[in-house]
Amino acid sequence: MRTEESDLTPLLTRVREQDEDAARALVEALHPLVIRIVRSHLPLRTAEEDLAQEVFVKLFSRLHQYAARADIPFHHWVSRLAVRTCLDALRAERRRPEWRWGDLPEAEAAWLEFMLADEASPPEADAASAREVVDKLLEQLSPDDRLTLTLLDLEQRSVKEIAQLTGWSGTRVKVRAFRARRKLRALAETLKAREHYE
Amino acid sequence: MNDFNQQWQRCVARARQSPPRDDTAPFGFATRVLASGWPTLEPPPVEHTWERLALGWLACLVAGLAVCAVLELPHLRDSQPLNPGVENTVAQIVWRL
Repeated sequence: MRTEESDLTPLLTRVREQDEDAARALVEALHPLVIRIVRSHLPLRTAEEDLAQEVFVKLFSRLHQYAARADIPFHHWVSRLAVRTCLDALRAERRRPEWRWGDLPEAEAAWLEFMLADEASPPEADAASAREVVDKLLEQLSPDDRLTLTLLDLEQRSVKEIAQLTGWSGTRVKVRAFRARRKLRALAETLKAREHYE
Repeated sequence: MNDFNQQWQRCVARARQSPPRDDTAPFGFATRVLASGWPTLEPPPVEHTWERLALGWLACLVAGLAVCAVLELPHLRDSQPLNPGVENTVAQIVWRL
């Protein structure tokens, strides 16, 4: 459950007064928000806990910067910090995973087939397998494309919100999303073509 | 030709229904964060203030000595470089009087 902004205000005041118990409570309160962002944008070879820890370390070292810009909601500031940290980690990761259609479990292959076919009804496969195949496809994209589609399609955030989180313009977000989906399609088609060739 | 975007959105909508994972902080996580990233914003202890002041004075002293050395350098080869010129001047003035 998300902690309300007003609940955090006294906690923030105490953290600024170097109260370690308050800092610990702040980490506990913000962990759900941070870990959800981290899980959505996690590089392959990084443990989610390590990246979450990096976000919190940055948060404490930059907390004085937030104080100077009190008009921005604290949750928004933390989200932006987490998204940027993840994006940096993704950009640092040069190699992307490679997989073939044949490597996919049956349920995930069914979802991929559904995306490329004219079938009206989605497969009977469970939501977890849909999530798996979505994550696998997104991992193939560039960090910026992956971030855009994760925020826009998976997390259903508005273009305006993504623009605020990333610092990009609204037009750039829309164009990037359009191109990223086109790349996904090309990627899925290539996988399928390769499968038939093999 | 199928509408990939539409099918993609339907797959993503189904993906969103996957059961949420536990997002509470694991035991000891907050302690680890504080151990690695808790900033030391407390005012520095008195010893540090004295140390900083002493270093400042030491730097001034070294600078003063360097200035003296530069001023004395041209007189290094004088026959009696340690004879203070001002005393001679005073002595000469006294002699004349």
